[in-house]
Amino acid sequence: MRAVLLVAERELRQILATRGFRVILLSFPLLIAGTLFASAHFAPPTGAAFTLVDASGRYSALIERRLELDHQRDVLHDLAAYVARWKLAFVDPSAVWAQPDAWPADAKVARFIAAGGGAAAMRQLLPHLPEGAPAFKPPSKDHIEIAPPAEVPIDQGADAFGRAIATPMQTDVETPDGKRPFTAAVYIPKDFGAPGVVARIWTNGGSTDDLIQTVRQQLTAALRHGALEADGLSSEAADRVETLSAPILVSEPAPSAARGVVVTRSIVPLALVYLLMIASIIIGQMMLQGVIEERSNKLLESFLACIRPSDLMYGKLLGLGAVGLIVVGAWVGCAVGAAFSSQGAIPDMLRLSLQAVDKPWIIAAMIFYFLSGYLILSMLYLVIGSLSDSMQDAQQYQMPVVMLIMLPTIVVIKASLTSPDAVIVQVLSWIPLYTPFAMLARLGTGVPLTEMLGTGALLIAFIAVELLLLGRVFQARLLSAGQPANLAAFAKLMFQPAN
Amino acid sequence: MKAVLQLEHVKKQFGDFTAVDDLSLSVPAGGVFGFLGGNGAGKTTSLRMALDIIRPTSGRIEVLGAPPSRERAAEIGFLPEERGLYRLMSVLNTVIYFGRLKGMEAGAARKASIALIERMGLADRADTPVSKLSKGLAQKVQLATALVNSPKLVLLDEPFSGLDPVNQGVLEDLILALAHDGSTVIFSTHVMQHAERLCDRLVLLARGRKVFEGTQDEARAALPGRLTLTCRTDPVALPGVASTTPVGSAVEGWARFEVTMKPGADAGDLLEACTAQSFALRAFDIHRPALHEVFIHLVGADQEIVR
Repeated sequence: MRAVLLVAERELRQILATRGFRVILLSFPLLIAGTLFASAHFAPPTGAAFTLVDASGRYSALIERRLELDHQRDVLHDLAAYVARWKLAFVDPSAVWAQPDAWPADAKVARFIAAGGGAAAMRQLLPHLPEGAPAFKPPSKDHIEIAPPAEVPIDQGADAFGRAIATPMQTDVETPDGKRPFTAAVYIPKDFGAPGVVARIWTNGGSTDDLIQTVRQQLTAALRHGALEADGLSSEAADRVETLSAPILVSEPAPSAARGVVVTRSIVPLALVYLLMIASIIIGQMMLQGVIEERSNKLLESFLACIRPSDLMYGKLLGLGAVGLIVVGAWVGCAVGAAFSSQGAIPDMLRLSLQAVDKPWIIAAMIFYFLSGYLILSMLYLVIGSLSDSMQDAQQYQMPVVMLIMLPTIVVIKASLTSPDAVIVQVLSWIPLYTPFAMLARLGTGVPLTEMLGTGALLIAFIAVELLLLGRVFQARLLSAGQPANLAAFAKLMFQPAN
Repeated sequence: MKAVLQLEHVKKQFGDFTAVDDLSLSVPAGGVFGFLGGNGAGKTTSLRMALDIIRPTSGRIEVLGAPPSRERAAEIGFLPEERGLYRLMSVLNTVIYFGRLKGMEAGAARKASIALIERMGLADRADTPVSKLSKGLAQKVQLATALVNSPKLVLLDEPFSGLDPVNQGVLEDLILALAHDGSTVIFSTHVMQHAERLCDRLVLLARGRKVFEGTQDEARAALPGRLTLTCRTDPVALPGVASTTPVGSAVEGWARFEVTMKPGADAGDLLEACTAQSFALRAFDIHRPALHEVFIHLVGADQEIVR
């Protein structure tokens, strides 16, 4: 063990002293910092402008009220998350923003608006903000209404309006929130509701689906209201029927709540899959270079006179494994730091994901799968290094191995998000080479505990066999030059005890 | 005298190729022992087996009284034929690292390394990365890694290869100093001059087999004695003489003859016979055969060796 630790320490020291390591270590924090800075200073503004012409004068107020209600729902949702994050619910436990609700109902939003909205809530919260907590910044409106441009006729019918509005919609326009793309124009004819009369919407090709949906819903509701009245229902009764809404309270699962399966409800395990892929490729390169350097510098015979080949192998795995963990630890640390010290959609998502990983055994499972995957890949790289006399040699082995691992992993990541019960995901989970990737990817959406234990046991057995067989190849190849002639020669090295 | 290295009927095969065949030898403690042979004679394979880097196919090996094992690394120093060091590591750290790999504690390894690199004239390069050293200096560092643990047994595989004549001389002095200080030095070489200057005992290998083991004098005795006599008559009839060859023409009646003795015949006996028979002699030069000649005689001229 002493020799293993000595080799590991040397490997670690050598890598830590290289410029390449510092670049790798800093690349991710710099990327995070750059992303946060860019999103804070250079992110394009959200929201788009639209104009609404209601020649009938009967529908625009309905549409505008709905848009405002939806916007205030977003404000309330974000405010509730802000209050939860900074633990401010005690300020007014009865306030609507103190009660987490993934989809606040209209009545709740109306109460929020009636109480003064986000501005009033902030006035209430401001004296109680903890140190370092930024002021709440409400989300900007998705749809900002502007008056029709002056040159566009609004009283000559829909066709004339449509022809005239096409040109102004090609450029950004001034809105109360600043310049925004002019994405949609809505024209409701004077006799809308009569048979054959249609409301018209022109778009600039941008994303306007939810605006169109809102307009459609409000106009439909108004027509239904009219139909009910025409059938003899009073206006009040028609209103009641029209605004009938099933009372639904949408609750999100508590972080890491179990449904008979292991679910973290977090993107952290999935992020670890990507991290595992990136880290193993980067550190794998270092591992290859280390082994090839020792082979080409003819260092190995000196070593083997002092220590066992297995000591050299385990020392390398341990040392370069430590390098990988330092890199990953630093990266994860930066991500956690950024999540808890900055504002924005990405930090908010990260923060929620990290909070979801709150059970020690879930953390242990993630670490187990991560380290197992790292060990499997590191061993493969070590053997590739021992089979190669140069980096050029190494590349011819490396490419197929990387493809063999990465392609199914990408499939598993995608499938685990869209259809976690897909056969491909289930099958790959039980193939040890892919188990770490598949199980990490699935942790976020749920894995039966029995499957976790079964794949874990199989993975441990696979690693033991891999270390034994590939270890033999590594040891047999230490003092050899050239490459094994074919797969049979390679297999012979695996199944032939070291001499 | 107790043997520091003993091989008994050792055989090593790589597939169908037999690298070492039925090799038995015994290296006594102290002094300098040479493994001599051409390329492919089995020198490096034998040393690797002694270090447990590879295992023999059959036979028995003992190193310092025990089977080969890394557990003995603390008592052994090894300089491989193919040399290399970590290019980015400093001289001092390289020597310390190998000291520690051989079981030395950190403090002791550091102390011994500093003393050794000072003795080897590398003190002013202690913090220099190996990549910045000349080839000769790098080889000195490599030698320091072999000696940092003050080994009882030093194994040097072709230690002179790649060294310039000055550094070859330095290394020869160092080997003699190690032996003087009590270490047993075993070195392999295919350069007979080094062996001639350094070895107390040697083994000659050819195609994996031992063809001779013993002292230099014993090796030379394997060759028929050769002398040059300056005399008035052909000495072919003298006792012990196998053949004679005249060299040049006689001057004032004195002629030179190259004399080849019969196997086992002694030059001293011949001189005594000359005196007893009043055989007129003007010069009696005993020709001391070079190891190279012994090697060629024992092995054949097709082996790749260097005088």
